[in-house]
Amino acid sequence: MNMLSKKSIVDAGSLEPEDIELILSNADSFLEISRRDVKKVPTLRGKTVINLFFEPSTRTRTSFEIAAKRLSADIINFSSSSSSLKKGESIIDTLKTILSMNVDLIVIRHSDSGTVKMIDRFVDIPVINAGDGKYQHPTQALLDLYTIQKRFGKFEGLKVAIVGDFLDSRVARSDMDLFEKMGMEVTIVAPTMFLPEDYSEMNVRHNIDEVIKDTDILYILRMQLERQDRKFYPSVMEYNRFLTLDMKRLEEMKPGSVVMHPGPVNRGTEITDEVMDVGGTLGEKIAIEEQVTYGVAIRMAILYLILG
Amino acid sequence: MAKNEKKNILIKSGTIIDPAKGNEFVSDIYIKDGIIAGIKENIKTGEDDAVKIDAEGLIVSPGFVDMHVHLRDPGSEDEETIETGALAAVKGGVTTVACMPNTNPAIDSDALVKYILEKSQDAACSILPVAAMTRDLKGKDITGMGILSETGAAGFSDDGKCVADSRVMYEIMRYSTQFGLPLILHEEDCFLSEGGLMHEGHYSSMLGLEGISSLSENVMIARDIMLARKSGARIHITHLSTRGGVEMIKKAKGEGLNITCDVTPHHLFFNDSYLTSFNTNLKVKPPIRSEEDRKALLSGVKEGVIDAIASDHAPHLDTEKNTTFKLASFGTIGLETLFAAAYTKLCLEEKMSISQLVNSITILPAKILGIDAGKIEVGKTANITVIDTDAEEEIKRESFISKSKNSAFIGQKLKGKIIYTISKGKLAYMSK
Repeated sequence: MNMLSKKSIVDAGSLEPEDIELILSNADSFLEISRRDVKKVPTLRGKTVINLFFEPSTRTRTSFEIAAKRLSADIINFSSSSSSLKKGESIIDTLKTILSMNVDLIVIRHSDSGTVKMIDRFVDIPVINAGDGKYQHPTQALLDLYTIQKRFGKFEGLKVAIVGDFLDSRVARSDMDLFEKMGMEVTIVAPTMFLPEDYSEMNVRHNIDEVIKDTDILYILRMQLERQDRKFYPSVMEYNRFLTLDMKRLEEMKPGSVVMHPGPVNRGTEITDEVMDVGGTLGEKIAIEEQVTYGVAIRMAILYLILG
Repeated sequence: MAKNEKKNILIKSGTIIDPAKGNEFVSDIYIKDGIIAGIKENIKTGEDDAVKIDAEGLIVSPGFVDMHVHLRDPGSEDEETIETGALAAVKGGVTTVACMPNTNPAIDSDALVKYILEKSQDAACSILPVAAMTRDLKGKDITGMGILSETGAAGFSDDGKCVADSRVMYEIMRYSTQFGLPLILHEEDCFLSEGGLMHEGHYSSMLGLEGISSLSENVMIARDIMLARKSGARIHITHLSTRGGVEMIKKAKGEGLNITCDVTPHHLFFNDSYLTSFNTNLKVKPPIRSEEDRKALLSGVKEGVIDAIASDHAPHLDTEKNTTFKLASFGTIGLETLFAAAYTKLCLEEKMSISQLVNSITILPAKILGIDAGKIEVGKTANITVIDTDAEEEIKRESFISKSKNSAFIGQKLKGKIIYTISKGKLAYMSK
């Protein structure tokens, strides 16, 4: 029986506080399972999960796959590049095919915003959004939240700075929704071309130095400057000057603060090589690998709560 | 209509709205051999060959003039044809349609204007071809506007696109003054709108959908007002969507420029918050804008800054809409909901008078197109629409007779139902 209040997880903003609490509290026990020698429980034996990926992904797909396997569910990867689904070829037809095979849950990633919401309306079985276009990536936000909980033991009043291309980031949207819901103070650090036309209602800075000393969580977004649809941001050099996390900035961060990133990092663009490879107490600030580990636990918790 | 079709029609005791005279009165109308033979109380025909329409308590309006329609013919007859588009029109009470030239091939030559005119002979309503301003709508070479107007073009437009080259636009405007036909302008700076899927604002940011800034429309309206001021061209801004546009046109009219504009019912009805459903039928161009813009458009109609209401009927196949929001085509059909959508918002919610609404879909667009329509006069061919303003209907996909079903209004409850449409002198539509 689904123990969450909704059939599916489509976006972070509509998760109820009790659902979030339930997911986070269950993640602890699944984290423990992942640390055992035999990392498998029979909880979801006989259930079938489809990883339906219309956009290439290694990390998220693998994370869901490991999560499902540790719960003994059968998980099947169905990849289809979005570009092969041209106009005329219906996603609905693909879904009908999958539904005919009696699966219990679909994990979906798609390159176009809103597609998972559309699919969720169409199918009766639960759907988990593994990232759609620029819209949402709710399981990422939940694992980010879990990482913060493990580090700080609380949410209320924590200061988060999300740095980078806010406009094009589904991670930033989902994180902002959840972080604010949990009582954190969110600041967006981005240049104008990565912000909506009117950002007067948002808490915005343009230079990372304005937030670096005071922030508890520095959440750095993946930047692919060379892959902008239309190139409006001038250069990596310009980015390094105002937005990149380098050693000098890392040293300025306050004690107990952390650096997070949804991965994979573009070394030299949003974070320097030096910072990525730093050890010692400064190295302890970097929580990127923890995020990946917690990601599996969070996805196990979600699968369990929906299908268990 | 069946073979035993009666030629003559008697409309009994309807409330007639005559925008030409600006009055409203209860009377009978007798139509003999397609021509309005009499408008007076208690007409007794004494014959049995007249179809009698009991219009007591109903509104009797001149047939509507929809000056912005895509009939998709030639080229995309799987979406709509002249024949099916005209049937959809009369179901919506529309008896005159101006069809846009972005067909395949585009209506940019004498032969294509003739094609539309000939194919329209037997259509359920009158169809006026609008010809392209530039060859193949490419924004470069100006079409033979002189010959096209002689052949019967009702106006010129590159609708669906905007002439980006200001020099070309300026020369089109100057040349158009020789012929006196209106230029129907789709205002969009394609560089500002490139890649955009919905109105740029709070909701586009929230939904992760690429935005189309209001600037895209406003920049071009500003440019074209300047070019029109200098050239003296008669310009008509179609499907106006922004508050800034309403303000600029109001000012330009105050200055005495020869400028008119229209708005669609969907821009009056919806705001961008409706896009949170990712309903692809709401993906239109220009995009459904903010509530602030919608309010400005409503006031624009009420104050008379906005002259006409036009549907921008844009048929698309299911395969073009049953896809992701990004891949879906732009456009909603609108002929069949033109009156009800506008009436529900403007008259019921905004308390505008029904006669003002009727003006904006009859005499005013007729005046812009320079045609003799939108009137009820003895001696003229009957084009008359009978409306039940009390009838409410939930719009369903199945109810459309247009070949395409992509209506933004599906699921909405609208008031104001077309009961009969008399078009080209014949009873062309009767509700079930």
